[in-house]
Amino acid sequence: MNAPAPRLIEKMALTLGASLLAAVVLLAPVAAAQASPASGSSQNVSASSHDRWLHVRVSNPGKGEETVRVNVPLELAEKVLPTINKNRLHSGKVRFDDVDCHGVDVRALVEAVRTSKDGEFVTVQNKDSDVRVAKQNGYLFVHVFEKNRPKKSQVEVKVPMKVVDALFSAGKDELDLVAALHALSSQGDTELVSVKDEENTVRVWLDSKNVTD
Amino acid sequence: MLLAKLALGFCGTVAVAGAYTFHEGVMRVDEDHYDGRHVHVWVPAAIVPMALHVVPSRHLEHALEHAGPWLPTLRELTKELKRYPEAEFVEVHDSRQHVHIRTHQGKLLIDVTDPGETVHVACPLVMMEDIARELEAKSPAA
Repeated sequence: MNAPAPRLIEKMALTLGASLLAAVVLLAPVAAAQASPASGSSQNVSASSHDRWLHVRVSNPGKGEETVRVNVPLELAEKVLPTINKNRLHSGKVRFDDVDCHGVDVRALVEAVRTSKDGEFVTVQNKDSDVRVAKQNGYLFVHVFEKNRPKKSQVEVKVPMKVVDALFSAGKDELDLVAALHALSSQGDTELVSVKDEENTVRVWLDSKNVTD
Repeated sequence: MLLAKLALGFCGTVAVAGAYTFHEGVMRVDEDHYDGRHVHVWVPAAIVPMALHVVPSRHLEHALEHAGPWLPTLRELTKELKRYPEAEFVEVHDSRQHVHIRTHQGKLLIDVTDPGETVHVACPLVMMEDIARELEAKSPAA
């Protein structure tokens, strides 16, 4: 307390300055994190390259450039789905019954497809539509082409058989969605669903990027 | 000398308290209506889970009744989202509206732009996970 007044003031100023500096250094990252929420133009790919992403893109060029883009990491879906218990979805499995399948034994049908050799199973060609169901190189293909609708449409589905097997690996009347997602995550980049008509384009595909094209 | 020590202690405490309060970032809700109404809420994320302790239990019970079944989903979702600190999840765009859901610097950002209003929400994922845990612990099923 015997220090002269100017020395005391100097010490106080030094202390205050040091404290403010420390606060600024500590809070700087927080302040940087408060960047404008609307500024989302930069898209960094920060997730691990091992992550597999399921992408859905719906575009409707006719209606004011409507676009829907959904990107979901498969691992996130695998972890979150089992926590949802609502209606028919329980523990990552969804229940179905005869009503859903119009009396068709879907499990027996899938088993028949799984054990059969590669080839075309269903081919229907008429004036309204062409339908083709085939199995080739471990994939199940479904191709529907509607000709006589006011607006022609084309649906292409390509599902790895491993995913189909995993989907039906649960008990009777159940689809194991988590197992299917897990099987899907081991697949390479692939397009799963493509729907095109004169109004809409729908694409569902799998890759390692966390952003759409 | 005593004054200097007091000033050092005070400023140090303020700096540490400030750093702790803001270390999880800030939860922001900005709502701008084109009729002139504006709502802007900025809350330090660290105090939100703490604030749950002082919310009257009757209000929490009512909220938990509706949100209870979804709390495990929220907890798991936020836990997983932390693994994707910079990612685009949903974007819906047409000539009038724009909805954007993404993560940026450890925050979940929801931006909605509509002819009538603009809403921006920024929630630190750490805070969301803490809230989900707190609410789960208070849930009757816990």
